[in-house]
Amino acid sequence: MKSYIGTAVFCVGLFGAVASAIIHGGPIARAAEQKSAAQSVSIDNFSFTPKEITVAAGTTITWVNRDDVPHTVVSPDKKFRSKALDTDDQFSFTFTDAGTYSYFCSVHPTMTGKIIVK
Amino acid sequence: MIEGTVKGFLGTPASFGADLNLTVQLIMGLALIGGAFLARAKRYAAHGVCMTTVLVLNLVPIAIVMLPSFAQLVVPELAGHLHKRFYLVASVHGALGAGAELLGLYILLVAGTNILPEAWRFKRWKLWMRVELALWMAVLLSGIGTYIVWYTPLLRP
Repeated sequence: MKSYIGTAVFCVGLFGAVASAIIHGGPIARAAEQKSAAQSVSIDNFSFTPKEITVAAGTTITWVNRDDVPHTVVSPDKKFRSKALDTDDQFSFTFTDAGTYSYFCSVHPTMTGKIIVK
Repeated sequence: MIEGTVKGFLGTPASFGADLNLTVQLIMGLALIGGAFLARAKRYAAHGVCMTTVLVLNLVPIAIVMLPSFAQLVVPELAGHLHKRFYLVASVHGALGAGAELLGLYILLVAGTNILPEAWRFKRWKLWMRVELALWMAVLLSGIGTYIVWYTPLLRP
């Protein structure tokens, strides 16, 4: 009987430790934190996806060029500007202030996007 | 770089500068063909004016559009990326274009001036001019190819 109780206590303890780790500091929690602190915008088929994105202040946006031609990410008011991004190249910028930030590809000006920072 | 904030007018994602450059190049190509017909009609003065105008005018888009674009977008990535069609088509166009422009200037110096010494002057006018016209047409075609690869999302695998 004593051994059953010991085993049960051990299992409950193990379950609690695992649950606590998952909830407070495990991979799921870490992924959630990363998701809130960083967002990505894909550049594919001559367009930004998502075209418009709303994030919290302090968020870092990373643009990844999935296209087979180079693109740029340029703010018309010169707040940020990437070099020419070849296939799979990335460009990141951290938005610290609230506001609406428009941007476009300077090689293909019909490609536009918007970051809304709240 | 054929960069810009102003959208083009040919219905592609290209900038106004890129569309204008393509249009000007097509007009220049037609002018050169017209100039060749002027020579065929033995109107050599008009032929010379036509060819010289195109050749010299073309230095402007080369200097302010194509050369900066090539230097900024292609040259930095050329070493490891020449197998990609974006860089390949632009490099072929650049090499052919440089050859055509330099050969054209050489022909202009020979035909229109007495600057060059006799040893550097060619005699077979028709051959050199036909080679130049053929080269220019190849440049024009590779330029159209460059525009398609750089600026059109259509026609992709």
